[in-house]
Parts: sequence; C-alpha cells; structure tokens
Amino acid sequence: MKRYAYYLSCINESMTREVDKSIELWQKDLGIELVKMHESTCCGGSNLDYVSPKHFALVNARNIAVAEKMGLDLVTSCNTCLLTLRSAKKKLDESEDLRNEVNELLGKEGLHYRGTSDVRHLLWVLIDDVGLGAIREKVKVPLKNFRIAPFYGCHILRPSTILGKDDPLEPSSLDQLIEALGGKTIPFEHKNRCCGFHTLLVAEEESLNVAAEALEEAITAKADFIVTPCPLCHTVLDGYQSKALKQTSLRQSIPVFHLSEMVGLALGYSEKQLGIKRHMVS
Amino acid sequence: MNCRKEPINEEHMTDSTIQHHEATRDVTFRVHRFNPQVDGKPYFDDYTIQVEKGITVLRSLNYIKEHVDASVSFRAFCQAGICGSCAMRINGISKLACTTQVWDELEKGREPGVIKVEPLRNLPLIKDLIVEMDPLVGKMKEYSNWVDSKMPENEWGRKEFLISEEEFLKYDKATDCILCASCVSECTILRANEEYVSPAVLLKSFRMNVDSRDSRHEERLAELVKDHGVWDCTHCYRCQEACVKHIPIVDAIHGIREDALAVRGVKDTSGAKHAEAFMEDIEKKGKLVEATLPIRTNGMLWTLRNLLPMAFKMILKRRTPPPPPLVKPSKGIGTFREMFREMTEHVKQDHKK
Repeated sequence: MKRYAYYLSCINESMTREVDKSIELWQKDLGIELVKMHESTCCGGSNLDYVSPKHFALVNARNIAVAEKMGLDLVTSCNTCLLTLRSAKKKLDESEDLRNEVNELLGKEGLHYRGTSDVRHLLWVLIDDVGLGAIREKVKVPLKNFRIAPFYGCHILRPSTILGKDDPLEPSSLDQLIEALGGKTIPFEHKNRCCGFHTLLVAEEESLNVAAEALEEAITAKADFIVTPCPLCHTVLDGYQSKALKQTSLRQSIPVFHLSEMVGLALGYSEKQLGIKRHMVS
Repeated sequence: MNCRKEPINEEHMTDSTIQHHEATRDVTFRVHRFNPQVDGKPYFDDYTIQVEKGITVLRSLNYIKEHVDASVSFRAFCQAGICGSCAMRINGISKLACTTQVWDELEKGREPGVIKVEPLRNLPLIKDLIVEMDPLVGKMKEYSNWVDSKMPENEWGRKEFLISEEEFLKYDKATDCILCASCVSECTILRANEEYVSPAVLLKSFRMNVDSRDSRHEERLAELVKDHGVWDCTHCYRCQEACVKHIPIVDAIHGIREDALAVRGVKDTSGAKHAEAFMEDIEKKGKLVEATLPIRTNGMLWTLRNLLPMAFKMILKRRTPPPPPLVKPSKGIGTFREMFREMTEHVKQDHKK
C-alpha cells in the first residue's frame, strides 16, 4: 500500500464534498492510501501570492512541511491547489533566505521546510504510481458505452515550467486514464482551455462565456459526460451550467463528473455511493 | 546528443523518425484566406511545396508568395524573431512564423504532412493572415504604456537618470516584449470580451509602473483597476505559455495587483476585495469561508440578485458551503495564527526598509 499525505482543499470540504467521499471508497482498491492532512490550511487559491508573497510562502511552506513530517509526498485533487503549492515550493527551493525566514516561524510548531516532499496531483499518482495496467485490471464496470469529453483545466497544465507533467498543447494523461477505464474519449478542442472559475465573482459574464464555449462543444459533439480533475472547473461546468448555457441557443445539458467519480464508477461503485446525485446537473 | 552507431533501418522507424531523417519532403500549408472585398466568408487554400529540413514556416510562406500564389497576404519584416510582425497561429498556436521550424510543426499537426496557418485571434481580420493591430495600440494609449518622465523638461538631455541593477531586474524580462500579440491571441478573457485590457498591455503597464523614472504610476494604476482591467485576468496562463520571449506575464499581472492593493487598498474593486478575503480567512480559520465570499466580494445586493436562484437548488442538492460558524478551523490554528501575525510584522518591517 503506497501512502501519500492528502491535502484538504477548501472546496472539497464545502461544495464538492463528493470528491473526497469517492476517493475514500476506492483508494485501497488501487493500492494507495491518502492520509488526510488535518493541519493543512488554505493554499491561498491563486490569490494569496500577490496579496502577500511572504504569507503565501509561509502558509504553503507549512503545508508542505506537514507532509514532510509525515515522510510522504503531498497529493491534492484540486488543480489550483496543485499549482499554488508547486509555485510556493519552487520559490522556497530557489531561495535560502526565504526558507530561513519561514523556517524560523515554522519552528514554533515543530515544523521545518526542507523541500523533500514532492507536490503531485491525484491524476499523476494514478498514472505514474498505480499505473494504467494495474488500473485496467481492477475495472469491474468498464465505461465502454460512454463517449467522454476530458476537460483538464488550466492549473494542471500551465505554466508548464511549474507543472510539466502533460504537454499543455496536447495533454494526454486524463485521456489515457479514460481509456484504461474502458471509456472512449472524444476529440475535444476545449480540453486544455479555461473554465473561467477564477473570475466568476469578478467578471461573471466573461466567465460564463468561457464556460459556455466548452459546454457547447461537448454537447454538440454528443459526449455523454465531461470529466475533470479539478473541483473548481467542476463548480463552473456543473454548478453554473444552466446559467452559462442561457448565453447559447442550446437547450440541452451535460453531466460533469469528477475524476474520482469516474474512477469509482469503473471500479463498481454506485452513483449514490459516489455522491453523483449531489451534482447540479443530473 | 544522441549518437547512432548502426545505420537506421527504415523498417524499424516510426513515421516521425522517417520525417526527421528525410532531407526534403512535400509539405502542405493549409492557409487561411479571406479578402473582404470579394469573399463572403473565410476559407482555406492548400499549397503543397517541397521543403528542406531547417526551413521555417515564414520562408515557406515567402516561397509560396513568390512562386505559387502572389495573392497570399501576411506581415513579415526582420525574419529573425525580433520585430514580432509575423505572429500567426500555426497548427492552432500563436507564434512567430520566422522562428518556427517546419520540421517541428510536422510532428504537431493533426493531419500528416499538413501545417495549418491562420491569423491571430482576438484582433480584427484585415486579409488572409493579417490582423488589425490598432485596437492593441489604442489600449496601450488608454493605459499610458510609456514612461512619462519625472524630470523637468528643461533638464532633459543635461542630466542622466540612473537606474540601479536591482530596479532594472524587476522589469528586465518585461522589456523583452516585442508586441507580437501572440499573448493577445491566446487570451481567454479577451476572447470573451474584446474590451478587456489584454495581457500585452498589462505587461507593459507593469513595466512602466515599476520604473522609478515614471511619473504616471498612480494615474495608470487608477485606470488598471477599473472594469475590464487587471482584476479580470482569470489566471489561465495561456498568455505566458504562448509568449515567444518566455516572459512570465502572469507574474507581471500579479505584480500590478500587489501594487494596487498596497497603494489603493481594497476599497474600490471587487477583485481586490475578493483577493483580500483569502488573507482574512486564512488568518482566522486556516480555511476559506466560501459561504460569505460572494457577499464580501460584491455585496449583499449583487449576491441576492445573481446567486439566489442557484442557492435554492444548491440547498436541495445539499451542496451549499457551510455557514461561517460551522467552518472547522485547521488543526493547530492557534500556533498558526501566531506565525501568520509574526509574518505580518516581517512584512511591515520590509515596507519600512
């Protein structure tokens, strides 16, 4: 059983609680254990870095230092947490002065940032550690009847200098996972585009335009559902779907699944067990 | 460097390795065509020419124009990646035709042997591959994208402005911008609303605002925080990923936001209030209090008008974020708060310095 320090994302503890619920169901089936980091705090959600770069470094040095104390790599199931934590790690690893400054404060809690734990997305763990072959063997209900539109989201792809797992122009990891689970991916131009989440409360109309484009493509291509590895993308594409589609002439809707739910379905868990009924679009 | 000791046997080669070892091959350039004087709508013309390895997309287009079809229109000047005039979308991505190798693009195309060439997005089309740059120039004027000297005019030419290396490093990368507009073409928000300031103009604005010789800092900042300005960036990083000079454009955008918060506070824009809410919540609970985030960003009226219908459905789906008292603080929040506040003191000291 390979163990990881599981970072608790704010959104997965509030609006998208089904993400962690579904991971808990199947993690051991795939030979992994995600140990919850109850000490972790909000990463700053792509905002704290410019509100106060020093607090941003402190907060995320602490988050990573908690994983280091556990002797495990940090794993998250949110794209923006992934980018934020990896950005902080890069800054900390490149600056001894910054490391020293935050470590002086972290000492109060018996923590110390060393840079020894990697920061990874759950999707990367499934592909690189569990392996597509092993996943294929565990599939109980292949997704063979489904045409699936993979929506990667920005912060698992760009900037590639900080992320670097997938080619941001032609990402393939989520496509590979879908195929391993027996599903069929559809060609999806919007797979590496933006969902508009980070401006939903600031420039709502623009964000809804952005989301509507992706939804329109998936619906027109007759996908059965969209899948995303990011709960923030899910919040826009599912939660704001009806509002976004009002900007188009389309009158259909399309379900949007979390990566963790899609894995759960293929491993034989029910929609009810996985929390899929909590989605705004059924 | 890879060294092969044995001769390459074609039987063991994939299509892409065959391409690599061929000295010349036939390549089809699928070129976007549109002449507003005669065409009702755009279309594509295919030009198949023999291309040698090492040839750029721009040289291929020049060849097509000179030898195949003189009516194909595109902009190009320096042919060396300096002037920025030949930016276009090659296989869907905005980049410079003069620094893009045909051989590299052959591996990226959807159809073997075909390279698709289109004009930049998010700027009005003039003809074929040529877009109108005036909207971009107009925005550069609107946001004062030049240094307006602090030096009195009577001292110009008599006195030097000395810039420290430390200051120069703040905008060194930003000065690499050649205004090719690749970032403009890739921008998510500009695609959704043409009034948005654009990444190139934000980059220039940042560059001018950190320059100590400039006198327009406050005015420029006041423009940047208005609607369609710096707070409308959705951090998708498409601009940065496409930048032909590898400039960290999003860092510059965040630099303007940091500056705006420091100089203007959070009073005047929803973007600033939204960002500041993260700081408050992390200090209080270690967690984001999502239930009140819309209210703190845009006020009660906006929240009721925009989110109430959705909130009812969320309640039915048990999807609403917990109210503030039910947001459980992170474990160890007491010591965390102490550290957080001590860091606030560090920041104050830094500002004094």
